Amino acid sequence: MNYIGTIGEKEVKVGVREVGVARYAVTIDGQEHQVDAHQVQSSVWSVLYGDASFEVDVQGKNEEFEVLIAGDCYKFSLMNEQRKAMMRSGGKGAVGKAMVTSPMPGKVVKLLVNEGEEVKVDQGVIVVEAMKMENELKSNIAGKVKEIFVKEGEIVESGAKLLLVE
Amino acid sequence: MFKKILIANRGEIAVRVERACREMGIPTVAVYSEVDRHALHVRCADEAFLIGPAPAAESYLVIDKIIGVAKKSGAEAIHPGYGFLAENPRFADRCEAEKIKLIGPSAHAMRTMGSKTVARKTVQSAGVPVVPGTVDPISTEEEVLRIAKEIGFPVMLKATSGGGGKGMRLVREEGELHSALRMAKSEAKSAFSDDSIYLEKYIEQPRHVEIQILGDRQGNYVHLCERECSIQRRHQKVIEESPSVIVTQEMRAAMGKVAIEAARAVKYEGAGTCEFLVDAKRNFYFLEMNTRLQVEHPVTEMVTGIDIVKEQIRIAAGEKISVRQEDIRQTGHAIECRVYAEDPDRNFMPCPGLVTSLRTPGGPGVRDDSGVFEGFEIPIYYDPIISKLVVWGKDRSEAIARMKRALNEYVVTGVKTTIPFHIRVMNNRHFIEGSFDTNFIDEVFFKEEKERKLAHGDVAVITAAIQVFLGERERAIAQKPAGASGPVSMWKYSTRPGIRKIG
Repeated sequence: MNYIGTIGEKEVKVGVREVGVARYAVTIDGQEHQVDAHQVQSSVWSVLYGDASFEVDVQGKNEEFEVLIAGDCYKFSLMNEQRKAMMRSGGKGAVGKAMVTSPMPGKVVKLLVNEGEEVKVDQGVIVVEAMKMENELKSNIAGKVKEIFVKEGEIVESGAKLLLVE
Repeated sequence: MFKKILIANRGEIAVRVERACREMGIPTVAVYSEVDRHALHVRCADEAFLIGPAPAAESYLVIDKIIGVAKKSGAEAIHPGYGFLAENPRFADRCEAEKIKLIGPSAHAMRTMGSKTVARKTVQSAGVPVVPGTVDPISTEEEVLRIAKEIGFPVMLKATSGGGGKGMRLVREEGELHSALRMAKSEAKSAFSDDSIYLEKYIEQPRHVEIQILGDRQGNYVHLCERECSIQRRHQKVIEESPSVIVTQEMRAAMGKVAIEAARAVKYEGAGTCEFLVDAKRNFYFLEMNTRLQVEHPVTEMVTGIDIVKEQIRIAAGEKISVRQEDIRQTGHAIECRVYAEDPDRNFMPCPGLVTSLRTPGGPGVRDDSGVFEGFEIPIYYDPIISKLVVWGKDRSEAIARMKRALNEYVVTGVKTTIPFHIRVMNNRHFIEGSFDTNFIDEVFFKEEKERKLAHGDVAVITAAIQVFLGERERAIAQKPAGASGPVSMWKYSTRPGIRKIG
């Protein structure tokens, strides 16, 4: 899986692969780090990195992290690449037809509009839940809801058509 | 000796007193508020009584309720711990009237030492050096200005019934006086409903050094040497140690003698502490006397080997102090760090909540006076202290190394704690060198910390990423629609083979 980490002003690309039992290869901006990581106590991890042993307390909420190592607190955010991309997508003010699609596999939690309803640019039209996070998807254009392809409660694949605004 | 002791407190200090009682074979009575039913001090006691709702003003501070429990349980004495009713002379009066022994000094001693101006006057006439300034509360600005000029700027304005740094204002020059006086008065008014102010010469680069004393009813007094308490933030002690690096043998003897004179002036009984300010030239001045057990008492216990709580109990029962001055030795070095449920990265904001996991430090020379356990919810109603971590070492550098080691072993999750802050202080060059005063944390330490580079950012990001990765995978499995995957059912729908449609 790939993530975008934000440390202060700086963004880094983070990738995680499981390479064995409790063994992971984590790349940060292309540099690979092999670690042996065990969650040993509530939020506390025992991490062996090379020969070095660390106790790491990971406190995270809504993708914002505060990590404690040997009395030092590291603050950063970590976001799934797809989610980050989704948050950034949406060129404003386009005209014509616009299909709202699901950027990830998930579940339709709520439809915020009905067919035939007028919507404005950036108006939330549907809520899709993935990774226990609810994401409100917005319409890129102003127009009328032409068609809705899904029902509340439906499981959708990544890229699935959700609704069409015209 | 008492047949039963009631402990009118909660948390780590109640547990501390219960430990002493248990070792002395004295049954204990705990009191608790509605949110403290699970608290450690309830579980460690022989008996426990509910005394009301969570707010202290409706439970731990209600004299009638405490006295009621004492009578009902047959407790002969009450240990007040610190905070709550510990320095309340009305409580002392009431205990006396009800013929229940309060483990502590007389109401008279509390009243005298409780008022800073009366205390100053009293100890001054006993020959104790005080910081130059007024003895009586002053009312008008003209008078404040006249005295300030007399003793010389900078001066410190202080609330007569103050404490904990409230109602205190530093005035460096005449121009600052007007607004500082107004602020000190209004702060004092809201904190203590008494806006009277007195004035002291401000000691530059002051260190806070205090002397622990014991006094008994027979008129014997001893001092148990000093504690260095200059590591404070916003005038609150956070780290204490004994001995102090600036106190020489002669100074110790002189300060001890003076502290005993102050105690003798009020016929002090039990354990008490005289606080002093020490200036850069090692002149010391009496600040105030605390008429109770101090939070930092374990530091003295570690270097002297004397159990101060047991001494308090024995003295209250009418026995003599168990040691003579010439037998008291200060051996090695002890440090205490107060571990609070506060967020050091957010200006020490209190951070009550559920302790989701806990690992307490151990090994040689480590003492953890704690009031929490894994699964305990630190209530929002009281002081958010988790524990007092105390270490002993053969000298100061071993004590610092040991404290650092113990802090690193200490794991508390679920709430933010001041453990990371303490680790930083133990690593600070000025602290290690022993060169600091009471302004160190607020004015030097945090500035230096800001410029510090952190070493293990990669490990932090790696671990968080693994946690997110595993969390996503777990949720993905849980979210898969039924039938899409998972074990295939061996039960298949079919009509019963025995029933066939015929024709």
